[in-house]
Amino acid sequence: MYAYDKFDRALTDTRVAEFRDQVERRMKGELSEEEFRPIRLMNGLYLQLHAYMLRVAVPYGTMSGDQMRRLAHIARKYDKGYGHFTTRQNIQFNWPKLSETPDILAELAEVEMHAIQTSGNCIRNVTSDQFAGATADEIADPRPYAELLRQWSSFHPEFSFLPRKFKFAITGADQDRAAVKWHDIGLIVRKNDKGELGFEVLAGGGMGRTPVIGKTIRKFLPEKDLLSYVEAMLRTYNEQGRRDNKYKARIKILIEAMGADEFARQTEAEWERIKDAHIDVPLEEMARIKAFFTPPPLEVLATNVPAINTLAKQNFLFASWLKNNTNAHKVPGYVNVTISLKPHGGIPGDATAEQMDLVAALADAYSQSEIRVSHEQNLILPHVAKRDLPALWTDLDEAGLGTANVGLLTDMIVCPGLDYCALANARSIPIAQAITKRFDDIKRLQDIGPLKVKMSGCINSCGHHHAGHIGILGVDRKGKELYQILLGGSGAEDASKAGILGPGFDEHGIVDALEKIVAVYLGERRDGEEFLATYRRIGADIFKEAIYDAA
Amino acid sequence: MAKKLKGPQMILANWLDSGRVVFFTRDGGWSADTSLAAYAEGEALDALLAEAEKSARNNLIVGTELVGATIKNDAAYPAHIKHTVQAKGPSVRPDLGYQVATNWEAA
Ligand code: SF4
Repeated sequence: MYAYDKFDRALTDTRVAEFRDQVERRMKGELSEEEFRPIRLMNGLYLQLHAYMLRVAVPYGTMSGDQMRRLAHIARKYDKGYGHFTTRQNIQFNWPKLSETPDILAELAEVEMHAIQTSGNCIRNVTSDQFAGATADEIADPRPYAELLRQWSSFHPEFSFLPRKFKFAITGADQDRAAVKWHDIGLIVRKNDKGELGFEVLAGGGMGRTPVIGKTIRKFLPEKDLLSYVEAMLRTYNEQGRRDNKYKARIKILIEAMGADEFARQTEAEWERIKDAHIDVPLEEMARIKAFFTPPPLEVLATNVPAINTLAKQNFLFASWLKNNTNAHKVPGYVNVTISLKPHGGIPGDATAEQMDLVAALADAYSQSEIRVSHEQNLILPHVAKRDLPALWTDLDEAGLGTANVGLLTDMIVCPGLDYCALANARSIPIAQAITKRFDDIKRLQDIGPLKVKMSGCINSCGHHHAGHIGILGVDRKGKELYQILLGGSGAEDASKAGILGPGFDEHGIVDALEKIVAVYLGERRDGEEFLATYRRIGADIFKEAIYDAA
Repeated sequence: MAKKLKGPQMILANWLDSGRVVFFTRDGGWSADTSLAAYAEGEALDALLAEAEKSARNNLIVGTELVGATIKNDAAYPAHIKHTVQAKGPSVRPDLGYQVATNWEAA
């Protein structure tokens, strides 16, 4: 993991001291709310539906056991004993007091964490593959590049007041688990014919009210040119992106308006001008950052562990967990374990302080003290020896963290919705709870197979409903919460935009409609065909008929 | 401006320090209990808002906002679900927010 140097430390410490002073001045009335609001937002502090909300960055979704323990401590001491993991791989605390936020930030800084740039029209936390550095299907670990981008973008003077917020995602694997095509800039680590490392660069993706899938701007960018090239892209956007209308201010709108080719041409022209201006870091610096992400020294172990096979035969839930919640590691004899934060009937993405402490302890015991947060709102323990799985599963299961539903229908992405979010039109959590209770049977879920259901409480799409195989969007119709269904989206390498089926349903109707959609799929699927493939083959009409005509 | 809003309105804001939701009360204070909230409609709204904003200037309160009210037995309750959630607490966490202390179901 990356460790702060004296510059990182000075930067965060100075920021905490500055914010402490600003909060004191606000409390004394020396700063008005109007003056203070942009300041608190720059420090990740929102005023939400019930109270302040503090969003803490988990850079590219990687943290240590000690950091997780600190989050648990903050939840307990300053909040109401829990936190919410988000689709940006961050964590949100829902009840902090304004006067205590400087103390929270100081406690975070001690463990090299902060809330800088988790809000505002700047470059936000760079997200990445939750299995980065630990997956068998990876060209290279993308996190050193994400860290480089983090350093470059932190307090970047030119890019601190962009037309709108700006989100990067990066993956090093062919299988896209980071939804890179749905980001303002998406980076995919590639190798060229000579075997050199570089990136495919995409831009202009985004959700919200105008969902757009990002387009490839450059097929191969040499590794060493990353910063100068993204700087050229950001400058092109910063200069020409619209500032007159916040709904038209994202880079996707600019690229749609000028065309991807023209955006690429202008970027390349700017890049020609600046590429030798020493924006890129020297190779030694890149090597220094990469050294922090050296894979742990894992001794190769036997891949076949009889104790696991025995337990799996005896215990269906363990067998399911093994199948759904673990995936292949680079090193034989190890797996990455996904801890589902989607207990059936629970609140997707929430974890209590006790659960966080447990995950930290389990990370110390089994995963080299490393933890990941996925954009699908789960926690990951990478590098777990297969032989440790029975003990790990037992501990998780006892703490309500053993749900064996990863990748299945109930592993839903769900935004906080109208239970917490001031922008929401409808609640999303109660719908998720009703759905996960209705589909509570793991056998049935496994039979349905891989299925991504994603739900947002408003058009801002924090719940990625445009990228759901099944998307659900909460809307407000004359003061009533209604839920629209979308089908056919994907956030993976085969990215696609989900299409809306028709009028919305009430909170009960939506669960029935989902059930009917699943029934159509089960009736229509061919051998081994997953939901998305069936949908792409048969189209929307038959689903539409099932949920509307029968009514 | 405020005059154009339809029906009775009350004033929702947040405590500066805790950020918790409160309503401007009939006796010129702030309370989480909406049944104590002052409400008005039409022309009278501007005066009510001005009074509430005075209190905001004392630096106790942020974000004063007019929200629609339903009146029952001369007491005000939020008309919109969003403000009901704000007044009560998260619907998915009955253990949190003002719903714990106040008898909402009776309202
Ligand atoms: S999608 Fe809308 S309701 Fe959900 S968290 Fe984002 S802004 Fe709030």
